[in-house]
Amino acid sequence: MKFTVPIGPQHPALKEPISLRMTLEGEVITDADVRLGYNHRGLEKLAEERTFLQNIYLTERICGICSHSHTTCFVQGVEKLMEVEPPRRGLYLRFLVAELERVHSHLLWLGVAGHEAGFDTFFMYTWRDREVVMDILETISGNRVHYAINTLGGVRRDIDEIQKNKILGSLDLLRKRSEYYLHIGANEPTFVNRLAGVGYLSKKDALALCAVGPAARASDIPQDVRKDDPYGIYAEVPFEVCTATTCDVLGRTVVRVKELMQCYNMIEFLLKNLPEGPVSVRTQRRAKPNEVVSRYEAPRGENIHYIKSNGTDKPERLKVRAPTLANYPATLLMLKKGYIADIPLIFAAIDPCICCAERTATLVNGRSGEERVVTFSELRRLARERWQKAPIKKDAVWPF
Amino acid sequence: MKIAAFLPELLRHLFKKPATVDYPFKKLEVPKDFRGTPVLKPELCITCRACVRDCPAEAVELFPLEGPEKKFRLIIHNDRCIHCAQCVDSCPTDALFMDRLFEISAFSRHDLKRQWEFQKATVKVKAQVTTA
Amino acid sequence: MAILKPIIYLLVYPGLLFLFVYSTFAEWFDRKLFARFQNRMGPTHTGRFGLLQPIADFVKLMAKEDIVPDLADKKLFTALPVVGIAVVSTAMMLLPVWNFDPAVPSVTSFSGDIIVLLYILSLPTLIFFLAAWSSTSFFATIGGARVLTMLFGYEVPLFLAVLSPALMAGSWRLAEIAQFFQKKPLLILPNLIGFVVALVCLQAKLERTPFDIPHAETEIVGGTFTEYSGKKLAMFRLMTDVEMVAGSGLVAAVFLGGFPGGVWLGLVNFVIKTLFIISLLALMRAVTGRIRIDQVVSFAWRYLAPLAVLQLLIVILLKGFVL
Repeated sequence: MKFTVPIGPQHPALKEPISLRMTLEGEVITDADVRLGYNHRGLEKLAEERTFLQNIYLTERICGICSHSHTTCFVQGVEKLMEVEPPRRGLYLRFLVAELERVHSHLLWLGVAGHEAGFDTFFMYTWRDREVVMDILETISGNRVHYAINTLGGVRRDIDEIQKNKILGSLDLLRKRSEYYLHIGANEPTFVNRLAGVGYLSKKDALALCAVGPAARASDIPQDVRKDDPYGIYAEVPFEVCTATTCDVLGRTVVRVKELMQCYNMIEFLLKNLPEGPVSVRTQRRAKPNEVVSRYEAPRGENIHYIKSNGTDKPERLKVRAPTLANYPATLLMLKKGYIADIPLIFAAIDPCICCAERTATLVNGRSGEERVVTFSELRRLARERWQKAPIKKDAVWPF
Repeated sequence: MKIAAFLPELLRHLFKKPATVDYPFKKLEVPKDFRGTPVLKPELCITCRACVRDCPAEAVELFPLEGPEKKFRLIIHNDRCIHCAQCVDSCPTDALFMDRLFEISAFSRHDLKRQWEFQKATVKVKAQVTTA
Repeated sequence: MAILKPIIYLLVYPGLLFLFVYSTFAEWFDRKLFARFQNRMGPTHTGRFGLLQPIADFVKLMAKEDIVPDLADKKLFTALPVVGIAVVSTAMMLLPVWNFDPAVPSVTSFSGDIIVLLYILSLPTLIFFLAAWSSTSFFATIGGARVLTMLFGYEVPLFLAVLSPALMAGSWRLAEIAQFFQKKPLLILPNLIGFVVALVCLQAKLERTPFDIPHAETEIVGGTFTEYSGKKLAMFRLMTDVEMVAGSGLVAAVFLGGFPGGVWLGLVNFVIKTLFIISLLALMRAVTGRIRIDQVVSFAWRYLAPLAVLQLLIVILLKGFVL
């Protein structure tokens, strides 16, 4: 017996609104469809009306968890447009915060995976240890979320010896706890049985559907922007790309925990080899007419910003392609042939950051099923026309 | 695969202090560089309006007052402020600084504005500024 | 005057008031212990140590708006919570705590009352299924189907495990089984496997982690309780609390030697033993994660049922050769 069940837009499994419509037969999913656009905020238009300096804070607020990745990606691009090179100490500090953000994001993900699987104790423990990282970030940058430590030409704040030693001290605690979580994750039977074999994505499919981030690395594709196209100081910092061969949610968990251990090594290297010097350079306000594509490895995958300038101090166009958007087609493939009980886990395994991915609105014609992409001004015009013409309806029924 | 792999850890936690804090009866300390709300030192402001230009949220307002003396009023709209501290960085004379308040809720957004009336100062601009 | 005593028994102790107060205390104990295992504080602010938190939750739910879906079967939808509370309160009545004269069989303690108690305790599952079915919402239907599927898994091992000490004591009356184990406390040890099996099956009956599939919050929104709100939801939550006390009372009476000592000491014994079992249940809840519905049934038939049969075999052999 076929049901069409809507997961979302409001659902306790989702942290942000998205509409996944699944066709079920019993407990098995036979088809899945996704509708986006509930979290659209018009960021790309807002970015065109603000200067490059103000846009740093705007791009930071695209997401709360991966905020530093968006602002670093943007600032990298703008520094290329303005042809300035930030000093080495500034770059080291910028990527120290980036790796700390990766640690906090992966610990958050571990907790969320535990919560979706019903394993609340794991959730509480990982989030308690994440507080250590949040406190470090608060002492470095002044705020726990939205660190705002980037500026055009470097970073805004410096760290002193006391902060450096504090970070090195907490790294030991974090290393011990992360190994403990690896141990639990591998040994707790209820947890492993929920994760193993769920959300299978073969290597061929992952390559064909352009999956990014840990979702792709768990299917044995060693793809990482930090190694493929090194930006910043990643050409000098030694680390390995972590992959897993099981192609399922357990593989993605293992990839993320291995990446945590790599992050700790990288943070230690960055702190011990921090060069002396200034942390930023002066930049001009205007950028010459040019266009740039900036790539960055966010905790969720590859983040791409395209910036076009026209000689003024405001960008002509900003386009953001967040990693979660690239993972949606792969998610739909993974959802088919799965159980309904696995929906939250499969969806959580790509680490969805839905607010990062809201860029366009797709209109679907309810009767004919045809889709078209519209601009915001068109939507406003359509809405005004409809309200002016519509009579008062009683007993209206939602069309789906 | 062991059953109940972290049972000893759970039992040990029965005797440890909880990691959570009984807010609002006990509060945590914020670090010294915490970005709270912006505060002006009126004797240092040269009314160059760099903060007004650079604020991403249009939260700083500066306008001259009527009258014989050259008085200005600076309003910080804390309901619009996003606590990024760009105004502090842009100011050439260090007239703005961030305090450490974060519990700034009020019942109406008009209670969240802070203003200063002052005379324009003549202070030397500091030599190194991060962005022009 | 003669009518006053039964009224006090029904309404105050061991009747509805005692049930309400004790089951909310049991819920507080469970929540506080669960929180301490996870290194956080649990309820703190309402009342001293947060003792009034479950009562505050109950009062809050009673005050909220009560919505009945349009397509639901109104009579069944409204009647089920009240029937649920009635059923579990009747189950509490049969525990061997308040038959103040053990030698004389009475309404609350008679031969065969262990079977009646097990039967009454399996009614809440049916009530949950009917609640889900009469809600006619998609998530509730899935929850109801899962409730019945779980019933196929844990009911048989629970019955087998609880009946083995009865077999050892040679009686179908709870008070006599308790007395048997009070006289020979060492005979509790051969029943340890049955104890563990009964605890796991009790956790499944109460629908707590790892078996909280039917109302799994992150998957099917609320499962059987999706459409319930206000007073009806308050009744259902109270029903799960009383069911927890009744179930742990049953396991304590059969495996841990009952509640000797007459009126007051028996009550103290009851409180201590049921709190011990509730702390074991809270530990089980903190240690594991949720498992899928097909894994529940396969786990129950692959591990729990054979262990229960093994326990039965041990008891039969012991009774044949030793006792």
